[in-house]
Amino acid sequence: MSTTAAASTPVLVVEDDPHLAAGVMENLRAEGYAVTGAGDGEQALEWLKGHTCALIVLDVMLPGIDGFGVCRSLREQGNNTPVLFLTARGDPADRVRGLESGGDDYLAKPFHLQEFLSRVRAILRRWDWYRSAAASAAVLRFGDNEVDFRTFRARGWNGETQELTEKEAMILKVLAEHAGEIVSREDLLERVWGYDVFPSTRTVDNFILRLRKRFERDSASPRHFLTVWGVGYRFMTDGEP
Amino acid sequence: MKATRVFQITALALVAVSAVQVGWWLFDQHTYTAEKVHAVRAAYAGQLAAAQTLLDSGMNGARVQQLLPGIVVSRGRAALSPALEEALTSEERRRTNQYAWEGSFFLLALAVCIAVIARALRAEARVLEEQDSFLALVSHQFKTPLASLQLSLETLALRAPTAEAARTLIDRMLADLARMELMVTQILESARLERGRVEFKSEPLELASAVARVLAQFEERARQEHVTITSDIAAGLHVASDALALDVVVRNVLENALAAVRHAGGGSIALSARATEGEVELSVRDSGVGFTPAESARLFQKFTRLPGGAGHYGTGLGLFIVRRLMELARGRVSAHSDGVGRGARFVLTWPAAAPEPRP
Repeated sequence: MSTTAAASTPVLVVEDDPHLAAGVMENLRAEGYAVTGAGDGEQALEWLKGHTCALIVLDVMLPGIDGFGVCRSLREQGNNTPVLFLTARGDPADRVRGLESGGDDYLAKPFHLQEFLSRVRAILRRWDWYRSAAASAAVLRFGDNEVDFRTFRARGWNGETQELTEKEAMILKVLAEHAGEIVSREDLLERVWGYDVFPSTRTVDNFILRLRKRFERDSASPRHFLTVWGVGYRFMTDGEP
Repeated sequence: MKATRVFQITALALVAVSAVQVGWWLFDQHTYTAEKVHAVRAAYAGQLAAAQTLLDSGMNGARVQQLLPGIVVSRGRAALSPALEEALTSEERRRTNQYAWEGSFFLLALAVCIAVIARALRAEARVLEEQDSFLALVSHQFKTPLASLQLSLETLALRAPTAEAARTLIDRMLADLARMELMVTQILESARLERGRVEFKSEPLELASAVARVLAQFEERARQEHVTITSDIAAGLHVASDALALDVVVRNVLENALAAVRHAGGGSIALSARATEGEVELSVRDSGVGFTPAESARLFQKFTRLPGGAGHYGTGLGLFIVRRLMELARGRVSAHSDGVGRGARFVLTWPAAAPEPRP
């Protein structure tokens, strides 16, 4: 096991079952993460007011505010820390709910330790990529739009300030890195979410629609976020004439 | 839910069609009777004309009445007899009434049948819904200790832990197994209680020794979880209950107290007993998380799971089972708390029993 790769990356574990919490925290510590535990949602939100971490492992069925509620309230506060949900309910509808409340990944109990650890690593890796990409090219200008990837803030062509969600920012980053090229829906899923956490690639389409609404003058005839039928999308910095 | 909707629509259609049918019967009958009466009147009109002709030709009125029954003659004019007139009108009314009554009865019977069926369907839907939520809850409750077990085992396999760490993992796994076993027992017990398949043999039982037997099973866990359990029960107090039921209620109340205290980070549980008029009271006081007055109303209902209570990690059946078993013993159970974080007191009350005479 590599203990150096994750060297003291801070992780918050929110789980009310003492055994499961202890098991998860011990394993994360053994991997070299700096782990903090919280027994319920209120405690977690309180801790997050004064601390930051690279990842939150969040149980869904918590006493008081449930995991979805914790995640939503974090996102509303503008906290974009990635969230890995743990839940005893693994049906697709629940997965979608979890991811729509702003979660990054979703793991059903009981889970395999190795899979849990590899998902933790995958989320952190995606965020590392995003952060380093954001650091090297922090600001993207296209049309009359301007996006700052570090602050998740953008100014639209009409001068309005927009707060991007982390997923919108990540999709935009992937598209911008491949400006002018065709990027498939599968590639976008893989780069932004990791693997088949969503039931379909339709979700990507929904995110593209949201980006068009934010940045296109006429979202019905887009000039920057172009659909390549049957394949995926092409991002044009200068805009299609 | 969908089936109930279909039933509602079908029943409504049936009632509507039946009401229209009954209306049609009434109308049809009325028309039929009116035609009949009309025909009879037409027949008598001929006789009336004949009688008038006879009268006009100078025949004696009495003679005419004799020849043509149903005709009365007064002052040289022939008319239909009032009795016959009345008979014709009342026949028409009688038939209409008969069909109105029969039709109403038919509609009423139909409505009653539909109501009975609808009630049965609703009850069935409720049972199904309850079963569904129970299944969802149980599968969720089982997955947590299962996940913990799997995690501990995989940790053992993945990381060659020290003997001490391995001991911790093994203790954790044993506790997870005990949790699952308790859940299985509670589910079976509550299913048996629900279906009334419980053999309840009431006999005089010595409370102190029965409680001591249960407490012996909790000693180890209480020590691990930093909970002090003290018991002050005078010997010689006898209650009337089934031996197994007594064991189950004391165990479940203690499980609950232990969970409440554990969630508060440790503390104490104190058991005491006293005899009151014709009854024996066992009080279990804990320094755990407590509950609000609103929550206390729901404590003994099925699937109630309060944060920090045993039910939060369990099936939500423990205290429901306690209540049902206490009812079977003709006793009762009550719960008191001064509020969240201020501990709780559960009181179990049985009818007192005279000790069994020793041979």
